[in-house]
Amino acid sequence: MKVNHISKFIHGQRILSDIDFHVKTGNIVGIIGRNGAGKTTLLRTMVGILDPSKGDITIDEQSIFLYPKLKEQVIFVPDSSEAMKNYSTKEMLTLYKSIYPQFDEHYFYDLMDRFSLKAINKIGNYSKGMKALFSLVVAFSTKAKYILLDEPTDGLDVIVKKQVLKILVEEVSTNDVAVIISSHRLDELEFMANDIIMIKDGKVDSHYELDEMKEMYKKVQIVFDGDGIIPEFLSKHVDILHQTGRVYTILMDKNNLEIQKKITEISPLLFEELALSLEDLFVAKLGGDEDVL
Amino acid sequence: MFYKALWYQNYKQTRIIIWMILALFILHLPFQSILSLERWKEQEHQAQQVEDYTYEIQAWEVLEIFSQGTLPILLSLGIIALACLLIGLERNTRRNDFTFSLPFKRQDLFLAKWCYGTAAITLFHIVNFFVAYVIIYQSEYRFALELANWIEIFWGPLLGFIMFFTFTLLIGAISGEMISQVILTFLIGIFPLGIFFLMQELINVHFRIFISSPTWLEFLTPFMYVMNHPSLASTIVFPIILTGLFLWLGVHLYQKNKIEHNGEFLIFKVLNPIFLIIITICLSLLGGMIVSSLAPWNADLLRIISYWIGFTTFLLFSLLLTNRLLSMNITFRGKA
Repeated sequence: MKVNHISKFIHGQRILSDIDFHVKTGNIVGIIGRNGAGKTTLLRTMVGILDPSKGDITIDEQSIFLYPKLKEQVIFVPDSSEAMKNYSTKEMLTLYKSIYPQFDEHYFYDLMDRFSLKAINKIGNYSKGMKALFSLVVAFSTKAKYILLDEPTDGLDVIVKKQVLKILVEEVSTNDVAVIISSHRLDELEFMANDIIMIKDGKVDSHYELDEMKEMYKKVQIVFDGDGIIPEFLSKHVDILHQTGRVYTILMDKNNLEIQKKITEISPLLFEELALSLEDLFVAKLGGDEDVL
Repeated sequence: MFYKALWYQNYKQTRIIIWMILALFILHLPFQSILSLERWKEQEHQAQQVEDYTYEIQAWEVLEIFSQGTLPILLSLGIIALACLLIGLERNTRRNDFTFSLPFKRQDLFLAKWCYGTAAITLFHIVNFFVAYVIIYQSEYRFALELANWIEIFWGPLLGFIMFFTFTLLIGAISGEMISQVILTFLIGIFPLGIFFLMQELINVHFRIFISSPTWLEFLTPFMYVMNHPSLASTIVFPIILTGLFLWLGVHLYQKNKIEHNGEFLIFKVLNPIFLIIITICLSLLGGMIVSSLAPWNADLLRIISYWIGFTTFLLFSLLLTNRLLSMNITFRGKA
């Protein structure tokens, strides 16, 4: 699936700007960004709900807007199951079986059993977590190649969340599907995504494989001598994640040897490398740490 | 074009109103024919008590059963509700996201809605019409059926309902949500005749000239097709032409839908100024008409002054109202 230079204007405002990336099956792609960055708009465009103002979404080099049948390979799970709340589980099964030719009814019942989901007359009567879980069960059962999930673990309790994440990883590894997840739960993405797309102000700020990304940066706790204030030359070249008193937590480019040399020269009182998380990269790349998550 | 999933989804979304429409058709045709037979018997019996008086069934009494009266108006309200549930309510809720994410062309989504509604209306009309027809045919009043022709009692209402349903779906393709779909269906549904009457009143108040409405205006007014079925070939030809035109326009516009405008008054922002002007003018003229009617009919100057007072007051109201309408956003976004 290719997202080809997508731009989207809504009410004259640019929501997405020249978004361009490629999703291969066998991958879990995390789309992260601050609130209002355009993540949901991107997912809705990728499944053809919204028309892009510019650009195209293609599967096997064919546009999903010109050939909507291609969308049999794509399933979108929104962050709310409001649309289907009046359906019974049986009706949902009938509906999805007639939409997605690859729908695996056996697998559907298997997952329902595994998550102890009982058949119900009205999906709206499920609890919040069960609704989210049921949406995922249906999505996996469609056997679509591309599964687009918008905040999929919202409302799930820890145990179910772990089961869901496990199934996600299983699906990707055994069925050669791609899962594209928009989520604020960076810890979860870190656990399973191998590809991270950071969206900032409607643009792709960065797109890396997670391991590659971690190789590029180093998280360091540092305390300076003297007045304890970070030197100006350094503050320009690193991202300050936190500051508590004289203790700075910074994110620095691992490959920038010059900065590393300068730090060694000023002999900080403390220089300790910490484990780098996706959250650190998020904060550094997409803005301050005050109101993001 | 026949996708089981879409028919299933459409039925699921509208099943209550579909059964209500069926009930209205049953009341309108078979039940009304039974009641009419009883009434005719009663009136004939009463007529026998009066010397030298013979009771005769009139053509309008037959038309009342098949194509006129209150029930066709109620049915057209049912048809508006059906179209609103198929398109308007989908826009108010997140169902439109689901529908547009499906692997179907938007053209097919629209046509599935049209085929579904049209099939239901056609089926209900045909079945109930023939039941009603047989009820009268097997009675002693069989001759009454000869008082009206098939255009008036069968084709006129059927094609009128289908055309009106198509029209309401077309309005759904341009309006952003259910309430605006209802408002616009009524406004545009009576617009040609409505604006004529408003202009007629304006001229009448100022110049005391009464211009009668030309017949062709009725053919341009969608609402007239559910209430009036003159025995003319045009009763068949015009609804077919209008149905074709509305369907083509509806499909075309639905394909171009920008559903990010769901919940707003109109989907196509380019139409905003046009509707702003039309609604403002119509409401202002209506205001003039209402207030001038309160003045004594022979006090010419007072009527003119009242007219412009009403016009100006309603102009201010409509400016406030249209501004609110065009900036509104009604979406129900239930969380999880």
